[in-house]
Amino acid sequence: MYLLAPTALRIAPDDFPGRVRARFASELRRAGRFAQLCLLGAQACLDAAGGDGPLAVLWASEFGALHATRAALDEGLRRGEPAMPFAFIAAQPHLAGALLAQRSHPVTRTACLYLAADAWPSLPQLAQRWLAECDRVLVGCVEESRAAGAAHRTDWCLLQKKPAAGAVRCERSLKADDAAAAAAEDWIPRVAAWRGSGHAPLLLRGGEDAWSFTSNG
Amino acid sequence: MSGAFVRAAALASALGPDLERAVERLAGAPVAPARDTRVGGAWPYFAIPISGRDWRNRTEAIARSVAEDLRREAAIAPARWAELPCIVGSSSFSVGAWDDGGWAALEPSFEFSSRLARGFGVHGPVTAVNTTCTSGFSALDIALGLIAEGEFREVLVLGAEFANRLTVAGFAGLELLSETGARPCDRERDGLVLGEALAAVLVSAAPAPWRIAALATGMDAHSVTGPAADGAVIANVMRAAMAGARWESAAVDLIKLQSGGGPLADSAEANAVRDLFAPVPRAVSLKGALGHTLGASGPAELALLLASLARGRVPETWGFAKPDGEAGLAPSGGDAGGVRRVLFNLSGFGGSVMSLALEKAA
Repeated sequence: MYLLAPTALRIAPDDFPGRVRARFASELRRAGRFAQLCLLGAQACLDAAGGDGPLAVLWASEFGALHATRAALDEGLRRGEPAMPFAFIAAQPHLAGALLAQRSHPVTRTACLYLAADAWPSLPQLAQRWLAECDRVLVGCVEESRAAGAAHRTDWCLLQKKPAAGAVRCERSLKADDAAAAAAEDWIPRVAAWRGSGHAPLLLRGGEDAWSFTSNG
Repeated sequence: MSGAFVRAAALASALGPDLERAVERLAGAPVAPARDTRVGGAWPYFAIPISGRDWRNRTEAIARSVAEDLRREAAIAPARWAELPCIVGSSSFSVGAWDDGGWAALEPSFEFSSRLARGFGVHGPVTAVNTTCTSGFSALDIALGLIAEGEFREVLVLGAEFANRLTVAGFAGLELLSETGARPCDRERDGLVLGEALAAVLVSAAPAPWRIAALATGMDAHSVTGPAADGAVIANVMRAAMAGARWESAAVDLIKLQSGGGPLADSAEANAVRDLFAPVPRAVSLKGALGHTLGASGPAELALLLASLARGRVPETWGFAKPDGEAGLAPSGGDAGGVRRVLFNLSGFGGSVMSLALEKAA
């Protein structure tokens, strides 16, 4: 399969509301931070990749919609009342897929995975499986900032069956011992940094699984 | 066509701490859900009858019980069992721990899933997936892929939804809950009743009585809280499942409906079913008995349905009494002698829609 538009965004928490407003006006106000973060990165990746047609969307996080979950628990439940609808919805990390679909991208299927940091190879592996039934899978790794001074992270790439200009060939590798260790937070940025460098294929490992990335001509 | 089979299944639910008792109870008179003040306050809730010192201790006790049942039925050598991969589907994971212990008690979803897997005695790779109400079948979908690619011969799939105040408060806030009871397909249905369940399904490449002929997925983004009224996406997904299984619509003997008593969602599914079938095959909903167990509902209802069919019965649809003429679905239980092909619908919050084609293998 082929990888397009590896896109890594690091957004300071103070800058985040402005970035969301600039990209989506006010339409995502009630979506919650996690979904907004997913959509910012996913949309940037799609803008860079171009093309159209149906998409499957697969993304992973270690901690999910932390901010919205905290808000829903703290603000709603202590009073023993029903939660505010949008507070509850924002706490559901999977709903970013529906919001992306509502933004005129035809989306055929979605899933949000919770993975250990070194289990990122599950993403291209599952995407490859999905490509048996669809042409393009948008893959992301998304994490809200959990510490003062730390940036929000939203990294995405587009995987597809067909080669395209600028696409990177992406294959599971049996040479895990030769691969550099990577984690959920840096595998897409490393592919982005390597792409266009003209160097030898990039071999990255997560756990016992490795993937190779090769320039496509 | 899938080459995977349901080798074994186990379930803890409001119907009982194990599948045997659940099936016995399901064959009897309907039981109303309790008003569980721990999580639901005024809302009825289907709770598992297993207690514990606190939320975490209770979930561990539930997991131990389900794991013992599954291991007994699966009859797999201990060394092979220990190496099983485990895919966990849930919409809430450990958020209920907050109810007892506040923030300090919450675990990241992956860690919670890993602990659940260890509670089953399996030490292979763990994956946790959330597609809200279809999470358990998303886990099954990942398992089918691992088997199809030859990565594993057997995969443990868990559907886990444990009582928590956030989910009940959220559904209450969205005005999706019934104040009285779940009445799937009934003309007086007025909302869902939530419930908890832990279901375990061991999927295998080795032949077993029920083969998973196909699992189809789709996305209905009409609204984040419910399907489009015409049911078009649901119909397309059911159609894809039948095509994957190479069935004509006339071959379907039984449809397990998603139907949980929500006025609009039930109507959308009914529109989809009527669009595909004439006449409509026999249908059943299990949410009047289990509650809507959200991320656990796929594996939980699968375990309960297959156990009922193994005893020769299509379960009655608890809560259904007065047909809704407009929806046109009238679930009916009874003898399961002729049931060889089952279409099993699931859909949920956030637009995920799935349909599983199950075929009697022998």
